[in-house]
Amino acid sequence: MVRIPSLKVGALLALMMLGLATQAVAAPKVGEKAPDFVGVDTQGNTHNLSDFAGQTVILEWTNHDCPFVRKHYTSSNMQNQQRMAKEEHGVVWLTIISSSPGTQGHVSAAEADELTTSRDAAPTAVLLDEDGTIGRAYDARVTPHMYIIDASSTLVYMGGIDSNPSANPADIPDATQYVVEALKEMAAGESISEPITRPYGCSIKYAD
Amino acid sequence: MLHAHRYFWMLLFGWMLWLPDSLQANPVWRDHIEVELVSEQTAITPGTTSRLGLRFLPDDEWHTYWQNPGDSGLPIELSWRVPEGVEVGEIAWPYPQRIEVGHLVNYGFEGEHLLPVTFSWPSDLPMNEPVRITVDAAWLVCKVECIPGEATLSLDLPISNERAERLSDHEALFAWAEQRRPQAMNTVGDFKLESDQLSVQLPIEDFVLAGPPSPKHIFVTNTNLVDHAKDFFVASGDGVLQLALPLSPFFPGSLDELGVVLIDPATQKAYAWSAVEGELISTTATGDLAYVWVLLLAFMGGVLLNLMPCVFPVLSIKALHLVQTPSDHHRSHALAYTLGVLLSFLALASLLMLLRAGGEALGWGFQLQSPWVVGVLIYVLFVMGLSLSGMAELGTRWMGIGQTMADTSTHRGSLMSGVLASVVASPCTAPFMGTALGAAVLMPWAMGLGVFLMLGLGLAMPLLLLGFVPALAQWLPKPGAWMNTFKQAMAFPLYLAVVWLVWVLARQTDAMAVAYILIGLVALAFSLWLSRLPERHPHLMSVRHTLVALSWLVALAMLASASRSSNEPNEVSDGLSEPFSVARLEAAITDPNKAVFVNMTAAWCVTCLVNERVALSSEAFAEALETNNVVYLKGDWTRRDEVITDYLAEFGRNGVPLYVVYPKDGSSPKVLPQILTPDAVISVLETL
Repeated sequence: MVRIPSLKVGALLALMMLGLATQAVAAPKVGEKAPDFVGVDTQGNTHNLSDFAGQTVILEWTNHDCPFVRKHYTSSNMQNQQRMAKEEHGVVWLTIISSSPGTQGHVSAAEADELTTSRDAAPTAVLLDEDGTIGRAYDARVTPHMYIIDASSTLVYMGGIDSNPSANPADIPDATQYVVEALKEMAAGESISEPITRPYGCSIKYAD
Repeated sequence: MLHAHRYFWMLLFGWMLWLPDSLQANPVWRDHIEVELVSEQTAITPGTTSRLGLRFLPDDEWHTYWQNPGDSGLPIELSWRVPEGVEVGEIAWPYPQRIEVGHLVNYGFEGEHLLPVTFSWPSDLPMNEPVRITVDAAWLVCKVECIPGEATLSLDLPISNERAERLSDHEALFAWAEQRRPQAMNTVGDFKLESDQLSVQLPIEDFVLAGPPSPKHIFVTNTNLVDHAKDFFVASGDGVLQLALPLSPFFPGSLDELGVVLIDPATQKAYAWSAVEGELISTTATGDLAYVWVLLLAFMGGVLLNLMPCVFPVLSIKALHLVQTPSDHHRSHALAYTLGVLLSFLALASLLMLLRAGGEALGWGFQLQSPWVVGVLIYVLFVMGLSLSGMAELGTRWMGIGQTMADTSTHRGSLMSGVLASVVASPCTAPFMGTALGAAVLMPWAMGLGVFLMLGLGLAMPLLLLGFVPALAQWLPKPGAWMNTFKQAMAFPLYLAVVWLVWVLARQTDAMAVAYILIGLVALAFSLWLSRLPERHPHLMSVRHTLVALSWLVALAMLASASRSSNEPNEVSDGLSEPFSVARLEAAITDPNKAVFVNMTAAWCVTCLVNERVALSSEAFAEALETNNVVYLKGDWTRRDEVITDYLAEFGRNGVPLYVVYPKDGSSPKVLPQILTPDAVISVLETL
């Protein structure tokens, strides 16, 4: 007699009931530990969020063709913030590109470096996240979308770059620059007055 | 030279300062969009009001944004420059469309649209010169990529004391905007902020919705408040509309006033409420009560499932086995079985919810919409039947027949028989529990899972009772030779279930697929028969093993072929109905001489089939359709169909059957009960 291995068939049945075990991602929360990630930058170096423990880390989602990103780069607002963050606060600034191949904002490592040079940008590194893993872990939705992680790896800020959702560079001077304000408050040992704000910009073109 | 230059620049600068008051181009063309400032009337009359509007015509598939643009985007912004004394109102936003872009949801407008603004003209306007109205408009127009645009537009409007004539060019657009303008409701609702959701109660006493609104008919006006891509939960009753809206992770945490626009799915009319923070006392209680009731129903449904032809054999044999084990093992076996059932239901419910969260338009019963699943179930039930008939050993471990009494490893067997009971119950849950589970799917996920778990608990209840109430076990007949007869008899309900599933498969695919799956069954039976042959000729054993393996391969190949059969399902026409389509429905609704009867059905939905046999195929029914001028539209949800899923959602349903009638006069449609009787249907048709 043939004994059909019941456990294997059982596993098959269970699989049938389960189908694809898709992983649901919980949204990151301010005040909680920032989701860890591993990313590869344009130089081929691997960065792990935990490598930067003890330092403040800023994540900036970008797409160079997005009008809202252009607003903050043509006006040099973003580059100034990158320099200020590094020079005055010793911040690690990671620019992340989550556009999937073939979509707006997707660039090769060389193109990303060329953009950094031509725009005179000053990030610590530019991470290429074309499969969207890091973006999804942070529930990043638009470009620009900003996150600040403090020295104890706690997420302390998430949201927009500033308070005026527009694509017009002329609106920058009157807007509250949230990242700048947050860094000042952190340096003064104060709690961040606006830790969650509205991210505005172009939707991130994730891979399906 | 220098002076000439300075003069030139001064001139240019002066001209630029003067520019705002000059007549600007109108309309203008910018990237992917045409924009025009238009007036509803050709002239204005001092001392009255009239409307102007910004007309936008984006390219195909491009859109602009509503006051709340959704998860990304920017609303259209207008800033007006008008002569002194002229008062400009706010934009009367028409309600938007829901536009899905990747994993985000936006609220905006595709196609030609207009944002109307009401102007109050002072009575002392000079008659001799036209009034110049100028607007600075800024917008974002997007497909997947976005392009911001801006323009300054102006319009000269002559003054006339006579009644101004309407501009027919734009009248239709103003009418479009008016039709989509939400009617402001006087009553103020309450909201309560919870950790990850916003609970809202809106009073709807003086106002009747034609059908329960679906989450897609709700638009929140506040920006950066809710997560637009997640499921909203809606329920109505007792004069209150309840909403549970998932909060955006980027909502900063304070909210003064909430604005909600609701579209009546039947009439497409829009209503606007505002809500303030308040206690949701009375109806939270009724809400909880309603939920408890749903849980209870699910539990009873689960208990009933035990009597279904697919489940009863598994249950009864498991029960008899339980009685044979020493009584101190009863509890642990019953618990293992229950665990198996609950885990299976949890898995199935999570899968459904995950797929829905991923944007799949699925409803309960989705597992039977796939020919693969139906095919596998046919095999499983058939082999189980054979095993009960004594043709195979399969299943004995799961059902626990013939196990040694004290074998503790049979706990795993009990767990597996729980899984098996759930698997074989699944073709039955879809037809009988469709509606209750459909509601569960639309609830917040934790509540929804609760309903599924109660259903599982109901399914496991008979065995749980048997395990925990020793007195019950004594009521069961003593084990004996009759058990074998009983076991064999139990094979027949399973064969019938197989026949039913083969028929479902036939409706999903075609005759070829049925032939494939029947060949597969023969191959399975052949392999089981081979395995049972006495081992008289050892040298033939390898031949036999090869043949067994071959038959299994054949069975698998047949399953694959049957599932891949991509033919359209055979429409089984009853001669009375037409196939459902939105276009056909709309055409029939707008015809004042015709009423409509919509029947949403599926081959695997037993309730649907019973209704069709009993109430929807008689001659009296055919006559009632004829004499009352009723168009009978039938939608078949046997296979996945997003159009039907959306239609079901309009009525707050996520499963079949659904029966809806639309009266001739264009008034709101009515939903009929799920169990139909011939007289009831005919009398409804007569009132249309």
